[in-house]
Amino acid sequence: MELRLDPDLEKFRQEVRAFIGAILPPELKERQRRKVANNAALKDQLGWMRILNEHGRAVPHWPVEYGGCGWSPMQLFIFNEELYKADAPEFDWGGTHMLGPVIYTFGSDYLKDKFLPMIREGATYWAQGFSEPGSGSDLASLRTSAELVGDKFVVNGQKIWTSGAAHAGWGFFLVRTDKTVKPQRGISFLIIKMDTPGITVRQIPQINGEAHLCEVFLDNVEVPADQLVGEAGMGWTYAKFLLEHERTTSSFIYWSKRELERAKDIARGEYVGGRRVADDPAFRARFARTEANLLALEWSVRRVLAHEELDTPEAAAASVLKISGSELQQEVTMLQLDALGAKSLRFFDAAPVPPPEPTKTWPDYVPGRTTVALISRAATIYGGAKQIQKNILAKLAFGL
Amino acid sequence: MDFAKSDIQTMLLDSADRLLSETSGVEYWREQRANAVGFDEGRWAQFAELGWLALPVPEAAGGLGGTIEDVALLNIALGKALATEPYVSTAVLSEHVLKQCADEGRAVELLGEIAAGTLRVALAHQENGAHPLAVEVADTVARPSGGGYVLSGAKIMALDAPSAGKLIVSARTEGQEGLGLFLLEAEQEGVSREAYSLIDGTRAADIRFNDVALPGQALLVSGNRAALVLREAIDRASIALMAQAVGAMEAANRVCGTYVQERKQFGAAIGSFQAIQHIMADMFVAAHQARSMLYHALANADQEEEVRSAAISAARIVIGEAGQLVSRNGIQVHGGYGLTDEYAIGHYFRRLMCIEKQFGDLALHTERFGDSIFA
Repeated sequence: MELRLDPDLEKFRQEVRAFIGAILPPELKERQRRKVANNAALKDQLGWMRILNEHGRAVPHWPVEYGGCGWSPMQLFIFNEELYKADAPEFDWGGTHMLGPVIYTFGSDYLKDKFLPMIREGATYWAQGFSEPGSGSDLASLRTSAELVGDKFVVNGQKIWTSGAAHAGWGFFLVRTDKTVKPQRGISFLIIKMDTPGITVRQIPQINGEAHLCEVFLDNVEVPADQLVGEAGMGWTYAKFLLEHERTTSSFIYWSKRELERAKDIARGEYVGGRRVADDPAFRARFARTEANLLALEWSVRRVLAHEELDTPEAAAASVLKISGSELQQEVTMLQLDALGAKSLRFFDAAPVPPPEPTKTWPDYVPGRTTVALISRAATIYGGAKQIQKNILAKLAFGL
Repeated sequence: MDFAKSDIQTMLLDSADRLLSETSGVEYWREQRANAVGFDEGRWAQFAELGWLALPVPEAAGGLGGTIEDVALLNIALGKALATEPYVSTAVLSEHVLKQCADEGRAVELLGEIAAGTLRVALAHQENGAHPLAVEVADTVARPSGGGYVLSGAKIMALDAPSAGKLIVSARTEGQEGLGLFLLEAEQEGVSREAYSLIDGTRAADIRFNDVALPGQALLVSGNRAALVLREAIDRASIALMAQAVGAMEAANRVCGTYVQERKQFGAAIGSFQAIQHIMADMFVAAHQARSMLYHALANADQEEEVRSAAISAARIVIGEAGQLVSRNGIQVHGGYGLTDEYAIGHYFRRLMCIEKQFGDLALHTERFGDSIFA
């Protein structure tokens, strides 16, 4: 064990930083920095993917044969961290980090040839159709059915919490293809074009003014059978693979680190009774605690990336990332709001991008903090609610 | 950066496993507590034989030249076994000061005695009411006299001092700026020790110095250099203690994991209840994050002082809070048995509480880290 950072990585960081600085268009950066909601500037995400792809950097974590960069886990960590630091638009996580790995691991050559380039090039936004109104934490109980009729699946049912479905060109869905077997065994993984007849999307107004989450209704939707990924009945396995494959992503470490810096700026910029918020001992102590916990999370991510040998299953270490990462996302956004005090209560409409011009009273860092903090309550719910994560962890770590 | 253990580290941990697993557990701990010094002299001799006492000493000075990671890994093992030996005060803290001793020949000689297991050294620095992270000294004064010094003053809670043959004492030197670190015999005219036990079975002493006559060579290091060395030594002691805390937490979690599967209520193992499972999950998260934060401290152990002390304080926040969460919930899942001296969890609880409050408690490290962020 030798824990100092390799000096070569620092050189790599400088290279990456210069590279991003050179190709990130200033207007994209500006829109990303000043966006007032989590999912504003979706179009910029795809535009940015196209730019990254031109430089062979759209999917650096994929195997080299599918367009990856062959970087080490720590190099990938640094690349992601620098993207966030530079206020680059987000990846289209659904495509690049969820569907892509499932396709190149389990998919047919047809699927690889058709969809991997689309993901790399940012050709479309991808919807993830997993949850259903009756199947949240108990995902395996999902009921949306797909019946093979000739060379097509006929899909009927309803999905919910499908992020960005209203803007998505394509989606990947978990559907039930066999009702006679154990629930987990009857699920298949299907790629569906979102403008297929029979699909209706309804946007759900959220507590933060956005309507990014959607309901998707599927009514006799005909899907070519060759859009089934891998084998029928293996969807549950693929979905678990997908969630485990990107186990460090769920930590949101890069995002939380950037947002903590923002909280720092706010605490330095805001005054209460003539005293900087940053100089309030109670605030400072809370901030110190949060930053310390975030540093711990960063090292926990590194340990998983490096596949540290442990007495407990690696999945337990990954589960820590999800539990701590989601709690810290919320804690960091709440620090921002508390540093703003009552100013955080002003509503900034998510629709206009960019937000109003900054003033002395309403600096650039105000708009957006609250909309993001509000929707960050979702962090401990999606991808398996925190309580489900704890059930899983107790089993993995202690055999309970 | 490499998380895999080196061959030397594997050997170190294997030897620790062999020695410590044979000699630990409630019965052993209770036995040691009843000893005059709070630990087994025979096992200390084995520490020496295994080379543990020479681990942090450079090879040039006859030691093993171990890295801070090596020292931390060994301390994780010591923490798991709730070892009460004065390893941190002698082999980490005092050795670090002695390594910086101006007189190199003397340093090698002293470090050799420590490595052989014949000398233990404790630091007497803390004074009543002083900030535990400050190196300035208020009350203890060394007055130059002839070629030597006369030392007067009082120190409190010098950890492991009752079993130490020599003491490193911090003092102001009259007529000079800054600090001096003096080495003196623990049993010497004018030195009086009031020894007592701490709640974890380790020992400490309040020490008075009444016109203690010291030769010139008693002054190990002085001035800014002394302050620097003392801060380094305290930070290294913090790292070793944090490693022990991580070991203690991981062991406590194992103890609790087993207990909740054995203890039955309402006709079922209590570990089958979600309320208990969620507590156990929280304990696992805390201990895992604690180990991560030990790694952060280790990665920054040799950085410039500002960076190093910020990293160590940050680590002490996470590890201090994790220690509380693990040990408090550990007692909770044990129910009434958790409060007895007969179950291991109460021993881990007391050890973790001691570590959290030594060399700056949670509140002080939170303050120091917060100040470093917004300085």
